[in-house]
Amino acid sequence: MNVRKILKISAVALASATVLWALQRLLVPKYMGKVVEGALIREYYEEKSPHDVIILGDCEVYENLSPVVLWREFGIASYIRGSAQQLIAQSYYLLEDTLRHESPKAVILSVSAMQQYKQDNETYNRMTLDGMKWSPSKVGAIRATMMEDEHMTEYVFPLLRFHSRWRELEADDFRYFWEKRKVSHNGYYMRADVRPAGEFPAERRRSSYAFDERAWQYLDKIRTLCRERGITLILMKAPSLYPAWYPQWDQQIRDYAGEHGLLYINCIEKSGDIGIDFSWDTYDGGLHMNVYGAEKMSRYLGDILLDVPGVKDQRQEAGEGAMAAEWEEKCRFYDEMKAAQEQEFEDKGYLSQFAQ
Amino acid sequence: MHLVSYEFGAFLVILVALYYVLPGRFQWAVLLAFSYLFYIRGGVIYLLYPLITTASTWFLARAMGDRTLRFRAWVKEKKPGREEKTACNRRVKAGQRRLLVLGLVLNFGILAVLKYFRFFLETIGALAGLGGGEGVWAWGDWILPLGISYYTFQSMGYLIDVYYCKYEPEKNPARFALFVSFFPQMVAGPISRFDQMREELYKPHRFQMENIILGARRMLWGYFKKLVVADRLGPAVAVIIRSPETYDGIYVLLGMIGYAIWMYADFAGGMDIVLGTAKLFGVLLPENFDRPFASKSLGEFWRRWHMTLMLWLREYIFFPVSTSRLAKRMSKLASKVMGKKAAGKVPVYIATLTVWFVAGIWHGASWNFIAWGLANGVVLLVSQEMAGGYRRFHAIFPFGKTRAYEIFQVIRTFLMFAFLEMFEYYPFATVFAMGKSLLTSWSAGQLFDGRAEALGLSPADLGVLALGVALMVRSGFRKAEEAEEGTKRRSFFARYIEVFGLFVLVVVTGVYGRGYDASQFIYNQF
Amino acid sequence: MEELMEILEDMNPEVDYETSQNLVDDGILTSFELVVLVTQISDAFGVTIPPAWIVPENFNSAAAIMAMITRLEEGE
Repeated sequence: MNVRKILKISAVALASATVLWALQRLLVPKYMGKVVEGALIREYYEEKSPHDVIILGDCEVYENLSPVVLWREFGIASYIRGSAQQLIAQSYYLLEDTLRHESPKAVILSVSAMQQYKQDNETYNRMTLDGMKWSPSKVGAIRATMMEDEHMTEYVFPLLRFHSRWRELEADDFRYFWEKRKVSHNGYYMRADVRPAGEFPAERRRSSYAFDERAWQYLDKIRTLCRERGITLILMKAPSLYPAWYPQWDQQIRDYAGEHGLLYINCIEKSGDIGIDFSWDTYDGGLHMNVYGAEKMSRYLGDILLDVPGVKDQRQEAGEGAMAAEWEEKCRFYDEMKAAQEQEFEDKGYLSQFAQ
Repeated sequence: MHLVSYEFGAFLVILVALYYVLPGRFQWAVLLAFSYLFYIRGGVIYLLYPLITTASTWFLARAMGDRTLRFRAWVKEKKPGREEKTACNRRVKAGQRRLLVLGLVLNFGILAVLKYFRFFLETIGALAGLGGGEGVWAWGDWILPLGISYYTFQSMGYLIDVYYCKYEPEKNPARFALFVSFFPQMVAGPISRFDQMREELYKPHRFQMENIILGARRMLWGYFKKLVVADRLGPAVAVIIRSPETYDGIYVLLGMIGYAIWMYADFAGGMDIVLGTAKLFGVLLPENFDRPFASKSLGEFWRRWHMTLMLWLREYIFFPVSTSRLAKRMSKLASKVMGKKAAGKVPVYIATLTVWFVAGIWHGASWNFIAWGLANGVVLLVSQEMAGGYRRFHAIFPFGKTRAYEIFQVIRTFLMFAFLEMFEYYPFATVFAMGKSLLTSWSAGQLFDGRAEALGLSPADLGVLALGVALMVRSGFRKAEEAEEGTKRRSFFARYIEVFGLFVLVVVTGVYGRGYDASQFIYNQF
Repeated sequence: MEELMEILEDMNPEVDYETSQNLVDDGILTSFELVVLVTQISDAFGVTIPPAWIVPENFNSAAAIMAMITRLEEGE
């Protein structure tokens, strides 16, 4: 009798958990269509071979650097752990999370996140944090960056956050219920369309150019963690025309890098050396690079990265092994997507996947 | 803390575990501690008010009780003559009355100052022609402690009961504190009586799975009514009733019906959560709703809607006022003009209008609510006067007992209630204009002229609302207790399907948290 | 008792007051009627019914009402 009761209760508990799990899987956004940024963080965990270089930051990294070019032309294995409006605290916890899985030699950190410590749009938090695997790092990231009306409970059970999507379920929600398709190239978000840079509003003067104290603390934490793990930290500012990267900000980062012996590359200054043509290398009028700009950026950084102790050309070593095969597959996927986007852009003048 | 929050869920899990692990004699103390914890989540300062009410009521009731005891002991010992005894009794009663008045003035005084001071100032200002914007009287905006109307009424009921020697006052102040501040009911009632609750709150409760299942089931029904129906309907109804100049014609009817359904779903849903929560601890609270929309007259309706408040008003205002010396004097005065029979009704009229005035102002500090209360009172008195006529009418035409006529009565009662609610949300002067607009200028075409879209209800929402209303109507055929008995008899799996299905329905279709606005998720150039 | 029956019949002649045992609980006597009843009883029998005595137990049947009146007359 007692055994039967226990069986009955466990069966019911199991059934309930399964139904809720399936509902949750169905209702969370899949990020496989127009908005793919929410899928970037999760894709990292599918990687098989390790990376020498890890790149952290917001759209200034995941749209502006191409790991496939770094491999093909320099033999550098790299991965971009970037996400939309990634805050500096999130970069830190993503670094912690990454170090759980591998030991890179170099970390490139985009410093544009220094200008904003607190999250102002909850959807960006979800896109960054939901993709992380559960670990103390994820908990830390949520705690540090959650907005006032967000709840830890809704991260533990995303169903509670996304339940109202039952009204707007799409074909994608069923198509990608079990398996997702790959949308990024080692964290790189590809755009092969072109929109030349135009006019931008004049830079607004700010009352203060000081970064938030807490942003500095997290930058320190990243630096310390890299030092402890023997990783070379490189600070980078991407070549975007807008929003402004004020000279006052630049100076503070420059001073910080100098003080701690870090390399700081301001690609806005270097855009001539890199060879960026703002009438061709951007897909949204100068805010972000398209694939042509990203490839130029990667070629520029490749030589710099090879100078970092421990980062080396792995193509020889890889030979015909599993790693080589893996990268070969990545290159094929990259070339196909690029060719397809170029074709579509030539035919239609826009990319339908991303069109409004 | 809010009854609809993740925090409340965690709070309950911890409390239930603690409650049943501890020996029975500590259980009430744990409830008290957690009740205060629940309350101070809104700010420690708020606890001050219930503490004042608790302390003053406990003390005054004890003082009254002591006098009664001393009087009885004196009678027993001295065996006084009848006259001496009456004289002494009168003195004792007079002393007790002073204590009662002190308690009533103090506690209703706090309530009045906190809840009605601003309203009072505004009215004076308006009468004096000062006008003035919102800001002028802002300093009359005191912090309003959660549930103050409820616990004040409950405590004062206790004090009056002790005055009338209905039961002995509670000796232990901490126990009494639990009666005033038991967390499920403190925020929104039900207003209960001490003699009903004493046993429930203080006796040890053994763990029974049945209580947990029935309690959770009741809570889920409450969350369903509140989150799925009320919170979905509420914003749309608000759009209609806040802009009477845009939403006229048929929308007046939609607003009326929507408001009535919203109110029921919100309030009765809240009560389900409260009663279900109490049930988790084995505590039975009095029902506050008995399927009011099945009523066949407005009088019946008010015996089935917010029952504990209505009982309170009946016991502590209606009867005392109607039997008061003042009412009798008025009745005597009236008998000279309109004859003895009609004059006999004068006390009823005075008492009814007093009750409904209080009911109105109880619901909110505004003339809208007072108008609503008095309108209800007037309708009830008129229908009371017509009752004899109805009886004669039905004696001649016996269709009054048919099913069709009963359905007609139910619909009429619902519409009457819904119509009277208009006094709550429309400015007094516009109520009749809106009623006229409904009767004279409505057409079904108005539903498709674009105004309906602005209400923000998608077809999916309407579907869920229809399902919600259907489920509420279905459960309206049985009393809550009968439904629970029915649940007990059902098989394990049938019960599981009901509870889990309800849970899924609430989690998925409930309106809570941030909505998912697809456009928000579009990456906007940053 | 006859006097009481007269008052009751006068209020609602359809009810069988001889047998009804739940006048208040069944909603036959509403609050209004209770108060009218209380006033008329006070006048007819010369007693004062305190508000605390207006409870269902005292008004559920004609017998209960009569018992209450008797208790009041005895000056309890």
